[in-house]
Parts: sequence; C-alpha cells; structure tokens
Amino acid sequence: MAIVVKLDDLLHDRRMTLTDLAERIGITLANLSILKTGKARAIRFSTLDALCEALQCQPGDILGFEAEGVEPEDS
Amino acid sequence: MARPVSSSAALPIAHVVVRGLIGLNWLGGVAILALLLVSPHEQWIMSAFKLTPSPEAQRIVAGLRVVAVLGLGGIGLNYVILQRLRAMVETVRTGEPFAATNADRLRVIAWALLALQLLGLVIDAIGKAVSTPVHPVDLDAGFSINGWLAVLLTFVLARVFAEGTRMRDDLEGTV
Repeated sequence: MAIVVKLDDLLHDRRMTLTDLAERIGITLANLSILKTGKARAIRFSTLDALCEALQCQPGDILGFEAEGVEPEDS
Repeated sequence: MARPVSSSAALPIAHVVVRGLIGLNWLGGVAILALLLVSPHEQWIMSAFKLTPSPEAQRIVAGLRVVAVLGLGGIGLNYVILQRLRAMVETVRTGEPFAATNADRLRVIAWALLALQLLGLVIDAIGKAVSTPVHPVDLDAGFSINGWLAVLLTFVLARVFAEGTRMRDDLEGTV
C-alpha cells in the first residue's frame, strides 16, 4: 500500500517502546503492532487522536504517502 | 479469531436435524435404486399399479423409470445441500460463521435448490404426459411458490453473506 506508517521513527525519537505506547493509548499491543507493520486496513480517528496525543505530534507525522514503485527520498 | 458462541438450543437441534435428514436422504436414494432394480420386471409394476398390459401402461412404466432416474439426481442435489448446511452449522459452533467459504456454500445451495425446482417441473411434466383418465399419475411435483421463494432467498442470502464477510474482514483490519 502507498500509505506508510512512521510509528517506528516517532517511537525512536521519543525513546518510547511499543508496549509503553499501547498502555498509554489503551489499545492492545497486537493491534498497535498491526498498525506499525503496515498490515492495518484502516485506522479509526479515535486511535489517531490518541496516538497524536501520546506522541505529541500531528497525523501527518504518523502517516505518509509514498507512490508505488517510487523510492522514498532520503531526509 | 474465534468468538465464543452464545448457548442456544437451536444449534444442537440443527446439527441433529441435518444429520437425520442426511440419513433419510440416503434411505430415499436406496429406495429409488431398489425401484430402478425392480422396474425391469414390468409385470411387478403392472400388478402394483393395477395396470393391464397396454401401450398406455407401458408408457406409464417407462415414465416411472425416467422419474426414478431423475429422483436419483434429486437425491444427489439434496446431498449437496445437506452437506453444505452441515458444514455451515459446524462453523457457527466453532464461532467462525462469517467466512468466505460459507458464502460460497450458500451460493452452491441456492444453485442446487434451483436445480431441484427445475427437476420438479420436469417430473411433473412427465407425470402429466403419461397420465391417462383410466390410470391418473399424480407425482406431487411441479411449480411451488415456496420453493422458488427459497431459491431467491438463498441467492440473496449468499450475496449478503459475501458482503458481510468482506465488511468483517475490513473491520478486523481496523485499528
């Protein structure tokens, strides 16, 4: 899918583990892992809201769009 | 993921009823096969139906033979329906009824029901063709509004099931 989830980078920047985040936003580690690995089909606004709150970021920091077949730019 | 199924008497009853119907269907098949084995002995059939040897009587015997062969086809269709119904009841028991396989099973059941309705029409037509005022043949088959309604309902239900399965898959992938 062209939508990428950038949870790994955010967690790394904030020195937070996936388990910590799961506990803070109240969703299961399994579901959060599905989101992190890009296997989720959809994300609820309530989940996005909780993630932004816990990570102190904007939705655009969590989700990104990469066109199929195009290499991501190095930042 | 499997979900716990609420306790209801309907499920065990359905399980037993479907198994019973499968057994009865086999018995029906054996009875028709026996009839086919007996049918070469024209005299037996003639005496069973109190027919006197005549061209009409021979037509009735020939018609009954064809109906018996078609009846075997009906037994096969019943088997297809009942086996799939049994498998569907089993998926409800295990807590996984909304699966693509069940939508496929319902579609197969709908086609089999349609074939049974058509078979009924053919059998009815044969009965009418061989029936005479002296020896009326009533095979209790033919057009049934309930039967055709069941066909329609099952096709619609199969579609609803397929759509429900897709929606459930989507919901399961929602975080």
